[in-house]
Amino acid sequence: MNKTEYLNRLSNELGHMPYGDVKDIIQSIEEHFDEGLGEGRSEEEIAESLGDPKELAMEFKDGVKFNQIMKKRKRLKDYTGPDGRGRIFVIVFNAFVGIELWLVLLAAIVAAFMFLAGDAGIIGVIVASMILGKITEFLVPFIFLVLTLICVAVFLVVLLFLGIKYYIKGLKSYIRWNKNVWNYGLGED
Amino acid sequence: MNSQIKKGILDLCVLALLEKGDSYGYDLAGSLARKVEVADGTVYPILRKLASEGVVSTYLQESQNGPPRKYYHLTDSGRKKLDSERDEWIKFCGEVNAILERGETGGKADE
Repeated sequence: MNKTEYLNRLSNELGHMPYGDVKDIIQSIEEHFDEGLGEGRSEEEIAESLGDPKELAMEFKDGVKFNQIMKKRKRLKDYTGPDGRGRIFVIVFNAFVGIELWLVLLAAIVAAFMFLAGDAGIIGVIVASMILGKITEFLVPFIFLVLTLICVAVFLVVLLFLGIKYYIKGLKSYIRWNKNVWNYGLGED
Repeated sequence: MNSQIKKGILDLCVLALLEKGDSYGYDLAGSLARKVEVADGTVYPILRKLASEGVVSTYLQESQNGPPRKYYHLTDSGRKKLDSERDEWIKFCGEVNAILERGETGGKADE
């Protein structure tokens, strides 16, 4: 394996690491190659002694994981008990903004449901009247009206589905965020 | 030697190498690989980890031929870590050796 091949394989194996980190790592290994070449060693020889690029990449990734664990541990170690300001913030924020916001969104979802129910009701009435032969005039406009209402219903179903999905998702992360502020205070990364 | 045991102690070895003076990656890789059976590449993830922990710092310095080299320097907190962990390791080695070496005769002595 020559230098280019080695560096390519290494950067491929590093995969999802942030670009800046990958660049930094590749740079240091490239420097290693250049130093070795300066001593008269061949690219293949240097690549061989560096070890399997896959394994090296894994060691780099382990280092990153290690750092994350250390950060978390440090945060827990530095934790001196509940932060009073964090709790006050959670209470005030929820009283004046948080709960209202979620209630308004919930009301919107309920309103959309009612709108959908009304829409379905009108469709039902018109279709039933048609079948029973109550509508003799303006048949074509009524058919168009029904088609339009069906389109509205489909649109509402999709909207509700997405709305409920993201409402639950958002609510979950909102609660998680509240818990974090409650326990650790503001200003955590 | 078991790679897990080796991995844990290599950080300390790199710190010890830097105790003698600042050095750059290629040089450290060579020093480490000459003494311990590891690949030359092993030193780089360790240096990165140590740098992010703040026990080593880095700076660039011109080399006589070629581009500038990234030098590694043992910080005060690195020195502290090295001192305390070195003592711990030497003590631990002594204890382990005592168990391993007296494995056979120790049993007889109890009789």
